[in-house]
Amino acid sequence: MTGRKVLMDFEVTPTSHTLEAYLARGGYQALAKALRGMKPGEVTQEIVDSGLQGRGGAAFPAGRKWQVIDPHDGQPHYLVANADEGEPGTFKDRWVLEHSPHTLLESMLIASYALGVRHSFIYIRGEFDLPWRRVSAAIEEAYAAGYFGENILGTGFSCDIFVFRGAGAYVCGEASSLLASIEGSRGYPRNRPPRLTVKGLFQRPTVVNNVETLSNLAWIIGHGAAAFRQIGTPKSPGTRLISVSGHIARPGVYEVELGYSWAKFLHDECGGVSCDRELKAVIPGGISSQVLTGRDAKVLTPHDVETMILDHDALWQAGSSLGSGGMIVIAEGTCMVSLLRVMLRFYHHESCGQCTPCREGMGWLHRIVDRILAGKGRPEDIDLMYRISKANDGTTICGLGDAAGYATVAMLDRFRDEFDWCVEHKRSKYDGNLECRPST
Amino acid sequence: MPTIYIDGRPVEAAEDQTVMQAARAAGVEIPHFCWHPALSVPGNCRICMVEVEGKGTDIACNMPVKAGMKVFTNSDEVVAHRKAILQLTLLNHPVDCGICDKAGECTLQDYHYRYNGEPSVSVDAKVPATKFNELSDRIVLDNERCILCSRCVRFTREVSGSNGLGIEHRADHSRVQPSSDGAFRGDPYSDNVVDLCPVGALLSRRFLYRSRVWYLEPTPSVCPGCERGCTINVWHRLEDWKLKSVATKENSRIARVTPLENPAVNGPWICNKGRDLADLFERPRTTQAKVGGRPAEIDEAVAAARRLIATATRPVALVSSWGSNEELEAFARHLGGRLACFVKADHRPREGEVLEDGLLIKAGKNPNSRRARELFGDAAPSFAPGTDLVLCWGEGFDPALLPAGAKLIVIGSFFDAATDRADVLLPASTQLERDGHYTNFEGVVSAFAACFPRPAGVADAEALFGLLAGEDAT
Amino acid sequence: MRHLIPEFEAMKKRLPPGENGVLVLPCLKRIQEDRGYVADEDIDGLVEYLGVPRIQVEEVLSFYGMLRRAPIGRFHLQVCHNVSCSMHGAERLLDRLQSRLGIAPGQTTPDGRFTLSRVECLGSCGTAPVLMVNERYYELQSEPLLDVLLEELGKP
Repeated sequence: MTGRKVLMDFEVTPTSHTLEAYLARGGYQALAKALRGMKPGEVTQEIVDSGLQGRGGAAFPAGRKWQVIDPHDGQPHYLVANADEGEPGTFKDRWVLEHSPHTLLESMLIASYALGVRHSFIYIRGEFDLPWRRVSAAIEEAYAAGYFGENILGTGFSCDIFVFRGAGAYVCGEASSLLASIEGSRGYPRNRPPRLTVKGLFQRPTVVNNVETLSNLAWIIGHGAAAFRQIGTPKSPGTRLISVSGHIARPGVYEVELGYSWAKFLHDECGGVSCDRELKAVIPGGISSQVLTGRDAKVLTPHDVETMILDHDALWQAGSSLGSGGMIVIAEGTCMVSLLRVMLRFYHHESCGQCTPCREGMGWLHRIVDRILAGKGRPEDIDLMYRISKANDGTTICGLGDAAGYATVAMLDRFRDEFDWCVEHKRSKYDGNLECRPST
Repeated sequence: MPTIYIDGRPVEAAEDQTVMQAARAAGVEIPHFCWHPALSVPGNCRICMVEVEGKGTDIACNMPVKAGMKVFTNSDEVVAHRKAILQLTLLNHPVDCGICDKAGECTLQDYHYRYNGEPSVSVDAKVPATKFNELSDRIVLDNERCILCSRCVRFTREVSGSNGLGIEHRADHSRVQPSSDGAFRGDPYSDNVVDLCPVGALLSRRFLYRSRVWYLEPTPSVCPGCERGCTINVWHRLEDWKLKSVATKENSRIARVTPLENPAVNGPWICNKGRDLADLFERPRTTQAKVGGRPAEIDEAVAAARRLIATATRPVALVSSWGSNEELEAFARHLGGRLACFVKADHRPREGEVLEDGLLIKAGKNPNSRRARELFGDAAPSFAPGTDLVLCWGEGFDPALLPAGAKLIVIGSFFDAATDRADVLLPASTQLERDGHYTNFEGVVSAFAACFPRPAGVADAEALFGLLAGEDAT
Repeated sequence: MRHLIPEFEAMKKRLPPGENGVLVLPCLKRIQEDRGYVADEDIDGLVEYLGVPRIQVEEVLSFYGMLRRAPIGRFHLQVCHNVSCSMHGAERLLDRLQSRLGIAPGQTTPDGRFTLSRVECLGSCGTAPVLMVNERYYELQSEPLLDVLLEELGKP
């Protein structure tokens, strides 16, 4: 066990995603509680009190975002669930969408009530087919049962929901770019100010929250903020859905109570590194979070005394972040130069091309790492990669360029010797290997 | 009025201004590619980064002013940042300034020398793109030179409304492309994107490879294309360069026309007709005075005309709506009492020309109709029975309408049916050869100046009117 | 696309009124599902139906990776080659598919049966390597499983 559960607190069966099953587990009671017994401001206050942080990557306090919205200011407000899960290594929202779509829907209704939202959206990435079918079916069930539409539960509250499918653009996971996509444009991120909670979708106040963030709401309203605060750590209450992949024995999605021991999680729950290899590195929260060496992360063996806990502050102090919860485990024998190439190819492919540092920088970084691997690297190329990363630090419209820069710098900082070796010997120290296969 | 501090200097700013606007109003230039005072703020070029005390760096173009804020436009971090951005801006730019029309007035070139100066640190191949992307028969786009500031795209969305351009694809494969429905080809304001382009990506095909800009100079003028009277710069060879030039024909040609920003009339824009003034002014000129169809000295022709006016019993004048305020007033003073005067539309809309729109283009295709009508009335030209002389000043008179037996005097700059038919022809200068003013349809008076010498054999119309009235006749 | 207009109209029921742009991407996706790609005449029809500038539709078509302007093979094999899939042999899968099908990524077999593409993260990293055949995910792939799959899809 990885601590207490908020979201994965039921057994997954072929029908556990249906409305019937959800109602049997007490579903939609939190909605009734909010609509019948709480004022919108009280719901928001409860979320503020819960200390819930965003689960999409930035860990911004969800309640603080909400407090910017005045539900009674007479203009339309919008709520968007960000289900554009595209951060490589991340597949945890998919679990909610496939297995517990009504948790998301109920939570969105509670949020819509608190924020004065008449029309809400779920922006789901275009490649997700089963998750989209599950969510769409759940929405039809919910409409039929009177949870969406006019006069919900006879309370006079009305709300519609629309599932918007993306079409293959990582950058649309960025909130402003996602809104541009809904508005029918290219997914270009927007400069702040104004914040999206001031001018968002159709220039109206808009809250964009990650699927997992929103899905916590039903539990928080149902059990109360105080109960939520009992879970996790004082600064990071609750749980995180962590999707583990890479060279790990038991990959998958786990719900982990914040503050849980990282070593125990990786070695006991996930079965440790595959093929009996040593742990070389971990990318804790999607490739945009900084890679840590197994030693930095203090998760080399399950018996490490001074083991690190899974918690936002602890990871920030270690020089990385829990990010999107997409944990990638990397075994000894993996070529980090090749791994960085895969990452930079991705950023190059996904840069929207709007602002200069990212548009030009991503392609440049990609070409340089390609050249290094092709045996044509120069010693100064490493410095150049630092320089390009720095030119993206805090200078871009959205976080894509920054994140790519941070990820690159972490790879160079922590595996510098491998890059230098590759430049000097004109080939990868590990022959470009990325796999961890049983020796035959 | 919040006070902010720019590089230590207190600056009064308006509540709703950005740091970029406040700085410019105070005469502090913050480098920028994508920002333009008349367009929306995309904040994509990232060169206008400034440092705010206690807040770090951010782009000035999207930064609201806040009372007491301390902005630094040249701190170490800002300077380093600009250099880094310029390396990136130039990464896939071909730096082919040697064959680029924009060289000499290119923002990227200027900024490189002013803020960077370092050669490229890249050894990797540049990303290729379309070199000769024919957006229309007027404009060609070099996608390799493009830095994707999106000014042109925003212009077609926010100003001209044609939605003719867009940015397609992503990352460093992003390309400005025309809408496939040809909306850009039909945009009557399309040439403004050439001026808006901070680099040499969007080029006027009229001007392509015609001149290096440092051999040119502008003369302020007024577009005569319609009664809006947009103020323009007429670009022509530098005086100095004319002395050295081998191709002397180019000395008196219009190299290009650009808007002369004027908030009272046209803002920073003009329409494409204004760009094509060479087509109007470089038509075959009347340079030889004629009497009875035969070449004559100018004095002889003036004398012949004066006699016709003096002896006519019912003379009619068709006054040019292309005359300057000064000329029109001189005409009224010298000849207004002697002839029955009507204002003539020298030019009518050409086939295919935009008649009128909500932006600049007006239906009246003459620059000074307003002043002419103030002086000579609104009545349409007509010939009372017994009209025995018509004095036609300017173009647009069909000589078939000449009353039977009437004589025709023409004061004109260009050949047409009326000059062919004239009993007396007096060649006159164009607005490019004299100073003057036009009054636009809203009553705004704008000045134009001479940029070419008057050709031999041509007189200024204003000087002729007194002579024709016989006031200083010997 | 005109026969799809009733479907588009139905979508409007749950959307805020008066915001036509919001239908651009859903309509394009539906059109592509219907025809296999988005043809010029579809763009014409959509521009007329939604009243949006044509350039907006063209920008959207070029921006999003899943939208196509030309037909492809009956089975679209999209192999993820992002981090977790590369760590589980995505490149080997790609090599296998290239040699079995005789085409490079981005190409379609001459019989029009298969199109091969590389794609970035499909959000299925825990079951890497993964490929998508049309809309469906095939997870935990390997060379022998690929051979079985190709056989199922009618590869001789």
